[in-house]
Amino acid sequence: MTPLAEAAPHLDAFRAHPGIEGEPGRLTLDRTEALRRFAELGYPSRRQEAWRFTNLRPLTAVPILPAPALAGGLDPERLAPLLAAGPTHRLVLVNGRLAPELSRIGVLPPGVWLGSTAEAARRRPDLLETAFGDSDASGAQPFASLNAAFYTDGFVLVLEPGAVLAEPVEIIHIADAERPGAFHLRNLVVAGAGSRATVIETASGTGDAWTNAVTSATVGADAVLRHVKIQNEAPEALHTSVIRAVVSAGGRYDSFTLTLGALLSRQDLHIALTGPGAALALRGAYLLRDAQEATFAPFVEHQAPDCRTEEVLKGVMADCAHGVFLGTIAVRPGADGTLARQTNRNLLLSPQAWVDTKPALEILADDVKCSHGATVGSLDEAALFYLQARGLDPATARHLLIEAFAAEVIDAADPGEVPRALLRRHLDAWLDERRISL
Amino acid sequence: MTKLLEIHDLHARIAGGRDILKGIDLTVAPGEVHAIMGPNGAGKSTLSSVLAGKPGYEVTGGSALYDGRDLLNLAADERARAGLFLAFQYPVEIPGVNNMYFLRAALNAVRRERGAPELDASQFLKAVKEKLALLDIGDDLLRRAVNVGFSGGEKKRNEIFQMAMLEPRLAILDETDSGLDIDALRVVSNGVNRLRDPQRSIVMITHYQRLLDYIEPDYVHVLSEGRIVASGDKSLAADLERRGYAHLVSAA
Repeated sequence: MTPLAEAAPHLDAFRAHPGIEGEPGRLTLDRTEALRRFAELGYPSRRQEAWRFTNLRPLTAVPILPAPALAGGLDPERLAPLLAAGPTHRLVLVNGRLAPELSRIGVLPPGVWLGSTAEAARRRPDLLETAFGDSDASGAQPFASLNAAFYTDGFVLVLEPGAVLAEPVEIIHIADAERPGAFHLRNLVVAGAGSRATVIETASGTGDAWTNAVTSATVGADAVLRHVKIQNEAPEALHTSVIRAVVSAGGRYDSFTLTLGALLSRQDLHIALTGPGAALALRGAYLLRDAQEATFAPFVEHQAPDCRTEEVLKGVMADCAHGVFLGTIAVRPGADGTLARQTNRNLLLSPQAWVDTKPALEILADDVKCSHGATVGSLDEAALFYLQARGLDPATARHLLIEAFAAEVIDAADPGEVPRALLRRHLDAWLDERRISL
Repeated sequence: MTKLLEIHDLHARIAGGRDILKGIDLTVAPGEVHAIMGPNGAGKSTLSSVLAGKPGYEVTGGSALYDGRDLLNLAADERARAGLFLAFQYPVEIPGVNNMYFLRAALNAVRRERGAPELDASQFLKAVKEKLALLDIGDDLLRRAVNVGFSGGEKKRNEIFQMAMLEPRLAILDETDSGLDIDALRVVSNGVNRLRDPQRSIVMITHYQRLLDYIEPDYVHVLSEGRIVASGDKSLAADLERRGYAHLVSAA
């Protein structure tokens, strides 16, 4: 099929799509431009290197068009198990739209703006116009272009220079799909010079919804942004996400991604370290079972001298699950003094489980220290025997070793206490549910 | 007296290989300490592995009864919960698994089997402190991951500490003296001696007579080419120290 033919159902849907009520004309024009771009690109294809390992059928076999808001609202009981334990500023988005009755933003310090993307479009369009701009039209990520055409809501966090937000911002996305449909979420974080904030995003839901999120983050000079993302969607759900981050001199972006849910998921990150001394910590884990597939594709660009990247991704694949790691660290000319480490470690729990891992370094500067590596293995037989020789049954012994493997990357991270506890809770629940079957 | 362990004509091999054990006979009564000595390649480690149920070994003949049960038919974890303990020659490093957490899980698994109530965190800590005092070892190992970054001596001390906590009926010490300097050997041996009990049997497997100076056995056996070729009291060990294994090996 030609790109235009692939785009046709989306073009039809766009005519009926209301966008955000009351959004300024400039944003509507951007949507049109993004859709035009999608019509040029069409769906990604496995012939493209970046998509070669990803099973695109669930996303492309039939067009998945924007789904309506949830009628009648969400049962608040559904929210309880997802909440972080501790004080947060919380926004809940149900089926791609803010649910004000479930959200609770506390008293924000001066210089901090937090709200939904729809609210920002109406009240602070200036925040969106510069940030959203033409980036989606110029990029080559078709799903990001679709997102830019169809986004209904999301969250916006803006910190003026020097603003410090002590409590984490907690964003909970719940997809409740009665029938297949797409939810496009558009998020923006601007951390001004010297500011500090923590964002926790949790994605959850029921049914076979496609959640397609795009997040733009700007980390100013000497600012610190911690970003924890937990994808724990329904087993039949689809999840794609693009994060674009720019980190200025002396700034720090600390990202953790835990992937547990969805039949098919893909996380693309494009992170540019643009000022001297910028730092990136990129950690995460994916734990997959049955026929789940998850791709983690970070592209990190060192554009300035003396920047640091510490990247550790760990995967656990059971049954016939499939993990994909496509990591690139590119060191541009002049980025001397770069310190970058990239590691992908995988644990295969069954003969049918598999992983494709492709860590890559592109180095065009002198005087850099870079390393990368990938491992794929199974549970250590000697360790299993040792545990069993002390009386632990085989299932408990396996459970303990899998937990140790996955928890190590959480323990090594520095997301703060509330996010760490939430990460552990999701991990422990995943392990407990699968205690026997692993 | 009823026997705790009765091995009869045991033959075993590494899966797919040739027999390494070629007819072992050994009987251990409650409270007895047996030493099994022998040259390299005699089958000492194979014997301990087969008794503990390590994967990768095949029993090709004979039997082993533990407390009247068919030991060889039990999985490794069932043997452990039934009161068999193997102190490893090379304790395994397990990154990410906390030593205390692991030991509490193991102890509670063993206690469940015995019909004893599980210990909560504070009861467990109390038991740990008692055993540490008994063995005269510090608590520095407990907060770390299982055996990770431990020195050779620390690993062996940790094995004996686990033995003290799990209170086995039959402990097999596989070359527990290997890699230990004289001070560490003394600490470990003192620990084992304090765990001697009329209801607890110990089988020590060792290459050197040195260990027997610290832990006095009731019986000494010489293993050579997969068979026990000589048995006696501890004077046999002294004899071996003087004359070596050669005359026994050639006699076999």
